Amino acid sequence: MEQEEKQTPQETSASASEPHDTAPAHIPIEKFSARQLLELDACTRCGECANWCPAYDQDSREPLTPRGRARLFKDILSRQHGVFRAGSLLGKLLGKKPVSPDEMRAFAKDLYACSTCMQCHYVCPVRIDTVELWEKIRECIVDCGFGPLDSQKDLVLKTKNYDNPWGQPRSSRSRWTKVAKKKKRITEEPKDILKSKSPVLYFVGCTASYDNNVEEVGINTTNIFQAAGVDFGILGVKERCCGSVLLRMGDRPSFVSICTQNIEQFNGLGITTLVTSCAGCLKTIREDYPKIGSLNFKVQHTIEFILDLIKEGKLTFTRDVPLTVTYHDPCHLGRHAGVFDAPRRLLQMIPGLRIIEMERNREYSRCCGAGGGLKSGYPDMQNRISQKRIDDALATGASELVSACPFCYQGLQIGIQAKNAPIRMRDITELVCMALGIETGAAGGNAAGDE
Amino acid sequence: MYDNYLYFPATAALYTLSVVTVLVLLAGVIASTTLWMKGKAPSLHHPLNAPAIIKAFVLECLLQVQILRISVVRWLMHFCIFIGFLGLFAQTALMAFMSHFVPPDTFIAKTFFVSPESRLGGAGARVLDMWGDVFGLLLLIGLAIAIIRRYVLRLPQLETLLKDTLSLTFLTVIALTGFLCEGLRLTDPAYADVARYSFVGNLLAALLKNIGWSAASYQAWVWTHAVISLAFCAYIPFSKAWHIFVSPLEIVLDASERA
Repeated sequence: MEQEEKQTPQETSASASEPHDTAPAHIPIEKFSARQLLELDACTRCGECANWCPAYDQDSREPLTPRGRARLFKDILSRQHGVFRAGSLLGKLLGKKPVSPDEMRAFAKDLYACSTCMQCHYVCPVRIDTVELWEKIRECIVDCGFGPLDSQKDLVLKTKNYDNPWGQPRSSRSRWTKVAKKKKRITEEPKDILKSKSPVLYFVGCTASYDNNVEEVGINTTNIFQAAGVDFGILGVKERCCGSVLLRMGDRPSFVSICTQNIEQFNGLGITTLVTSCAGCLKTIREDYPKIGSLNFKVQHTIEFILDLIKEGKLTFTRDVPLTVTYHDPCHLGRHAGVFDAPRRLLQMIPGLRIIEMERNREYSRCCGAGGGLKSGYPDMQNRISQKRIDDALATGASELVSACPFCYQGLQIGIQAKNAPIRMRDITELVCMALGIETGAAGGNAAGDE
Repeated sequence: MYDNYLYFPATAALYTLSVVTVLVLLAGVIASTTLWMKGKAPSLHHPLNAPAIIKAFVLECLLQVQILRISVVRWLMHFCIFIGFLGLFAQTALMAFMSHFVPPDTFIAKTFFVSPESRLGGAGARVLDMWGDVFGLLLLIGLAIAIIRRYVLRLPQLETLLKDTLSLTFLTVIALTGFLCEGLRLTDPAYADVARYSFVGNLLAALLKNIGWSAASYQAWVWTHAVISLAFCAYIPFSKAWHIFVSPLEIVLDASERA
């Protein structure tokens, strides 16, 4: 984690930008859909979201709840754009006051105290499409100059300047393949897909590419694909960030730019399938990209792809893995992309593996707090959220905590270390490698107590 | 035109109040929808999916199974208020429509409604008597649960704003004054043979008689009930009750998008 702290900009203060001393710019209401504006009225304020929100669980202030956020934003919109807006005759009659910069600043600060985990959508009796709404509001707050938070701006800038949120040079994106080859962790480096024209693109993602603690994900995935004889390649130094960070932070123009470039690049490869081990990348490419442009290939998470390989008889588990594990559903893979059964099916196929579900699982899985900019904006809160998830895992008695997302891996590792918890963090690909008899070297995934 | 069995003539004052109510309600609806229509981004990314919409409407808007999954008490509360409000609104709307548009000498009018010749009306009027009591009682049960959860138990998940209190107050007063009107009407001996069909009103009539209330104040209470009901209708688009119309729309749109 030491290296991650160096790579990841983590500031303890969370303050919204301060661009205005006078009345703030109006929210560009036209950027919303009619349905999103209707959703602000559809909220019945029943408070079910407050019961489940991981951020509110750590900081019990009403503006942090999805309910409170919707109400405050409706108030801002009404005072700026409504029939009873401040300054209009009707507004004056009702004593409506203009929205002050301080109000906008406070709203923006609380708006980013959200991991966009989508739990609120799943428990909302009215089915409000919350995360789409929060991301659109963030976009407008950025337009008005109040977002993202100072501590999150670095992520956005680095993504724009270096094509990765960690601010690492583009040239070192595929360094992990060379190191792994040198250490004989992989038999051969993945092919450069621009030359090999392979039908399958393994999109490694920024976290697995640059974070040494999580590079095992890339190594294990490579070994699995090579063991199955998959004709695949990677983009190497030509791979860009999927843009998830930009979208979640509200910098939509930059997201559209990177997304458009990626779509053009991917479509031009002639691939049939894009496979990624990162839940965030999967959600962004599979769910968000098609809203910008069409894709001429299938997008799968590694888990789904491996299941297909097993079905086709290209992979067979030969070794017992005598471990007791519990599986953490990454928000972007589960609630966002609807992939709940595939990881469980894969784990059940591994011989000797014992799986115990946490009390909160599948649609109700507790978020690790790492997503949506929460980790960079509110690192202390993310730490506490992660610790609660570790408590969930410890309650099962499992010795291993398994997930399928490098970002969750990072986020949960924070909780394990903070609690010095006797549980080992593993990516699901590591267990697959073990069952295939492939050597793994997950030193970075050890339980805190082992390190 | 003839008196309905509530003895409540549609006077010019009532028409005026009704028109004002409709105008305020429309103004509120226009204020909200105007704001919605300022959003220019596409609302839907997929074609509307009729089966998903119908399924969500039946299961989640009418039966509200998603609330049942969370809590039986909450479902009972919401379902009682929803069905009670809807039942009473339908009864009032039906009677208003019939008294204006169904000729008094028709079979339907003779069966369901009173006339100057038949003060008690036909057999159908008893169905309407029971209808009002059943739905009024359901509404009161739901409101009682809501009031206990919000003001007695003070459940942490509930944030109480003025608009919550106003909506609950309106509905409670409407339900109580409705039953009071019926109780007062049934204190009149002319209704003795049919009073049992209005099982709640009949019980209330007995209590009212004991404290010396009679049908003499009936007209005043009916006016009170009508004015408060109309005021609530006008308040709907500005109130929490606006979700009665908006939330189902969001439920079916989301179901269609995710199908």
